[in-house]
Amino acid sequence: MIEIKNAKTRYIHGRSFSYQELCFEEGKITSVIGKNGSGKSTLLKMIIGMLRYDGNVMIGNSESRDLSARKRSQRVAYLPQILKTPRIDVETLVFHGRYPWHGSFRRMSGRDTEFVQRALYITGMEAYRHRFLCDLSGGERQRAYLAMVIAQDTPMILLDEPMTYMDMAIQKRILDILYTLAKDGYGIIMVSHNIEQSFSCSDTVCLLHEGNVMAFDPPEELAKQEDLLYEVFGTKIKKSKDKELLYPYVAVK
Amino acid sequence: MRKYILSVTVLVLAVFIALFAGNTAMDSRHVMEVICGGGSPAERVIIFQIRIPRILASLVSGAALAVSGYLLQDNLNNIIASPGLLGINNGAGLFVLISALVFPYKSGMKCLMSFTGALLSAAIVCVLSIGTGMSKTSVILSGVAGGSLMASLTQVIISLKPETVADKVAFSLGGFANTGQDMMKTAIPVIITALILSFITAGSLDLMLLGDETATGLGVNVTFYRLIFIALASLLAGAAVSMCGLIGFVGLMVPNFIRMAWNGKSRENVLRCILTGAAFLLLADTAARLIVFPYELPCGLITNILGTPSLICVLAKKRKRLGTYD
Repeated sequence: MIEIKNAKTRYIHGRSFSYQELCFEEGKITSVIGKNGSGKSTLLKMIIGMLRYDGNVMIGNSESRDLSARKRSQRVAYLPQILKTPRIDVETLVFHGRYPWHGSFRRMSGRDTEFVQRALYITGMEAYRHRFLCDLSGGERQRAYLAMVIAQDTPMILLDEPMTYMDMAIQKRILDILYTLAKDGYGIIMVSHNIEQSFSCSDTVCLLHEGNVMAFDPPEELAKQEDLLYEVFGTKIKKSKDKELLYPYVAVK
Repeated sequence: MRKYILSVTVLVLAVFIALFAGNTAMDSRHVMEVICGGGSPAERVIIFQIRIPRILASLVSGAALAVSGYLLQDNLNNIIASPGLLGINNGAGLFVLISALVFPYKSGMKCLMSFTGALLSAAIVCVLSIGTGMSKTSVILSGVAGGSLMASLTQVIISLKPETVADKVAFSLGGFANTGQDMMKTAIPVIITALILSFITAGSLDLMLLGDETATGLGVNVTFYRLIFIALASLLAGAAVSMCGLIGFVGLMVPNFIRMAWNGKSRENVLRCILTGAAFLLLADTAARLIVFPYELPCGLITNILGTPSLICVLAKKRKRLGTYD
């Protein structure tokens, strides 16, 4: 579980962000939405210790800033928005996900290999295991990195726009993976610009605006606050007339 | 070990060639006799006090410069980073001259001063480029700026106090003709220690290649390791410059060649850099001794001549991958 209380962080150029009270639980999917620059990625970076903060960010029973980088990465896995493409194959990348557990000197155990095989299987990357990252498409690369994060086997998984380069079929597959992970007890925090997807797949939606938390509610509750959504996104977000589709969406007309 | 057979073979061949080649006419059988304890006193001096120390200096300097370049390239995620291009060699060279000026009779100080100069240059690059998030372009530009400043100050000292350096051209281009054994006694232990530390810490370079954010998510303290690698690279380059002067391009050529030829993990690549860098600089030094026999060229001249095609190879490889120079 990750609990945030009155945490404030800022960048060197002076832009500050404050997160009053948030609680991300294991076994649940939380989507973080908001306009560009609202502090979505900053929230994740603060949790993994890339940004200094005032206030409290508790990972399990420990304050994030008190944990060593290695200990923190045994509790929280993180997939950033921008993914590099060094000249390594997919299997090597996924094995890197086991680094927090064995370091760079200990040999991989059978258990490590099991986690890697499972991650490759879940993400459907088994056939690509010997392909180089630089030879993959954007979507395949993102799945390879997702496999790395799954192989890390941490209670909480932070994903920064994990489906940016994926086509519809792969997005559906990734959502299925996230559901399965949540059902298995993993907590997922996912930053997204896809409002329909965030509302439809999450247990909780965290709405950020100009560095502040505007709402942290189940999607059904937040969907009712149309004025708030309008204020945050600056555009009319429609709700489907179909009673089964309760969630807002963006439309041209 | 099978992975390194080629590198080890080239290295052993390079050592034999360097041992048998030289001004004094000595065939291989004669050289082996001297090594086994025979030969005249003059021949023993040539082998044990001239050729073997020079071979040792070339091997260690080559390994140091190659690993220094490799650490900088992977650490800054920039394939054209090298101790020469980032001004680290120039900084070390400047401080070697200052050491000769201030402590003319303490050659042991050269290594310490050289390391100080190398670290200062690295610090200048970091400070100048940190504002732009250490982007590739800003790191290189900062290195060029800092390096030019150091090179200019070096020239000022050489112009005002020409007696500080025995051979101005040889120092600027780099070579082993004036390498003293007292310098080697200080520099070689420093280099060996830094090489061992580089090998131990190189595992985290694999993760840093995935980018700072991903590496942090995997439990790497990126800032700590970045500083450690810059310090190790400076230490290696500084100690090498104190022995052989401003030899360029080794730190650029060897790591890029290794990446092109093999696709290993960072720790394996550090080992390959040690073997290949050592063999390369020893062969370059041997070539420098033999090309205009009985005279001698500065070894740095050979590495500089080979540096141009190596840069072209890197560009061509980049072009092949991207389909364009952009």
